[in-house]
Amino acid sequence: MTDKRFDVRRLPAAATLAITCFVILYIPMVILVANSFNSGKVIGDWDGVSLRWYAAALQNDAFISAGITSLILASCAALVATTTATMAALATTRTRGFKGEGTIHLVLNEPLMVPEIVLAIALVIILAQVRQFTGYNGLGYLIIAHSAFCIPFAYMPIRARLEGMDLTLETAAADLYAGRFYTFRKVTLPLLAPGILAGFALAFVVSLDDVVISDFLKAPGQDTLPTYLMGQLRRNLTSEIYAISSLLLLISVLIVVGAWLLTRKKT
Amino acid sequence: MLDIRNLSKRFGRGESAVTALHEVSFSIKEGEFFTLLGPSGCGKTTLLRMIAGFEPPSGGALVLDGQDIAHTPPNRRPVNTVFQNYALFPHMTVAENVGFALGALGKRQAEIDETVGRMLDLVQLGHLAHRKSGELSGGQQQRVALARALAPKPRILLLDEPLSALDMKLRKEMQVELKRLQRETGLTFIFVTHDQEEALTMSDRIAVMSGGRFQQIAEPRDLYDQPANRFVAGFIGETNFLDGRCEGGQLILPEAEAPVPAAHDDGPVTVMVRPERVVLGAAQPGALVLQAKVEQLVYFGTDTHVHMALANGNTLVARVQNADQSDAACREGETIPVSLPGGALRLLPQEAA
Ligand SMILES: Nc1ncnc2c1ncn2[C@@H]1O[C@H](COP(=O)(O)OP(=O)(O)OP(=O)(O)O)[C@@H](O)[C@H]1O
Ligand SMILES: [Mg+2]
Repeated sequence: MTDKRFDVRRLPAAATLAITCFVILYIPMVILVANSFNSGKVIGDWDGVSLRWYAAALQNDAFISAGITSLILASCAALVATTTATMAALATTRTRGFKGEGTIHLVLNEPLMVPEIVLAIALVIILAQVRQFTGYNGLGYLIIAHSAFCIPFAYMPIRARLEGMDLTLETAAADLYAGRFYTFRKVTLPLLAPGILAGFALAFVVSLDDVVISDFLKAPGQDTLPTYLMGQLRRNLTSEIYAISSLLLLISVLIVVGAWLLTRKKT
Repeated sequence: MLDIRNLSKRFGRGESAVTALHEVSFSIKEGEFFTLLGPSGCGKTTLLRMIAGFEPPSGGALVLDGQDIAHTPPNRRPVNTVFQNYALFPHMTVAENVGFALGALGKRQAEIDETVGRMLDLVQLGHLAHRKSGELSGGQQQRVALARALAPKPRILLLDEPLSALDMKLRKEMQVELKRLQRETGLTFIFVTHDQEEALTMSDRIAVMSGGRFQQIAEPRDLYDQPANRFVAGFIGETNFLDGRCEGGQLILPEAEAPVPAAHDDGPVTVMVRPERVVLGAAQPGALVLQAKVEQLVYFGTDTHVHMALANGNTLVARVQNADQSDAACREGETIPVSLPGGALRLLPQEAA
């Protein structure tokens, strides 16, 4: 015990590196948020604190409509992804091993391995055909696509929670006259809830943040918050973009922190 | 009330199959405290899980009150289990845990509340009804698990080593408590343990198991005094084994001075004698008399264990009550006569030890 072991935490370079990463990650955020309160019209030209750009953003119909689209999309996608992920997780942990279990893992986690741009291109090709055939041009395509690539993010925390659950609890419920459904409702689901919540939050944030697939699949005139921001970035660079970005950041942080707090209380 | 007929269990298939239980048959009477006793891996849990319905039997019948329930799912069997790790629902309060079965059975809330109150009083936990089950001590969790299993009034209560997680003192208390509960409720208990003392003190009848088979089913006293074979004799209490022969109604031990009469078929036998039945010193009429050298005296407070060596190198242990005999009865190193009274000898068929 007395010999000096190799300990990463003791390496002076490690601390420096960690701090550098932190700074690189967070300094731009701080600058962004700070600038969103800049009353000046041009970036870099500080002109006093004001909420002027937030007010402007809230009166900007294009932003509001993109925001609503994003929230609907993220809610639907997270809901579908979480439901699918929950059922998949139950199937892969609560049944005896079955043929093709490995394949299911592969399919569920496919979006993590396939480059997003490749998935987007593949979907564009197919959906172009579907669009022509059905004539439907709504948000449905985006919801389906987002649901698909959100599944692994929802699946991970749910599965982790299920694997950590004591199986004798479900046996005990069955012993105490509970049928399968009663056991699921009263024992499995309440114990799984923190995992499901975490999965939902993760899926929601991932969907909210997506640019590539949204940009490829959106119908003309349709915009999500990220694609709207991209469009604005190419045109007039005003501090309003900073205000909108800050709002997006706020939503993401609120969701993740909220889910974390709820999960913590339940365990 | 419960008849188990040729019940067997195999795990796995083909080459790697393990037979956890070989066709066992026995009956349990209403209101009985029945114990399954045996070393680790002998199939106690497997048998209990089959009675509860968690494990389908590979063969045989499980007849409860005249109905074969071998393939009835666990939630339709009037049988409840107290699990070794208690398996309390961590997200529920003590009261919710205890009322779980009644809720699953669709009872009215008023009835559930009333039963839960009564059960918690029975295990003396009324004051903790609204605690979360994770915030209890081991002994309290044990009581909640008991109350939870008793609440729906099962026909049989199954207990799989329920006391093994408790410390010695608590364990003794819970043994008394369990026995009291069983008497008060008049319920049939099937209790699993690998602690022979626990089995002897609590049970009406004990089934000694080994290697997936029943070695003997008997009341504690009979099990101790008349073990059916060497395994049972060695597993329950401490025992001396001596090898001898029977010839023409006489038991001949190579170490003994003279043979004694014995009602046993001719042939090799194993003689079993409990340490507390060995008499030091004076030869008694009708007893086997041996010469033994006292090797070690081990003091245990209420009694002393005398370890002795016989002429042929075999060892013999005697247990002497310190209240009866002065410690001057023997000294380490001296050779003394030892009597094995005829009534204390039990002859068992010889088997490879
Ligand atoms: N699910 C299973 N698959 C394969 N073998 C099993 C399984 N369950 C039990 N066994 C085997 O069956 C035998 C009996 O096991 P069991 O758990 O009934 O023993 P036990 O008497 O309860 O032991 P302990 O005192 O250690 O709890 C053991 O050899 C065990 O390895
Ligand atoms: Mg066991």
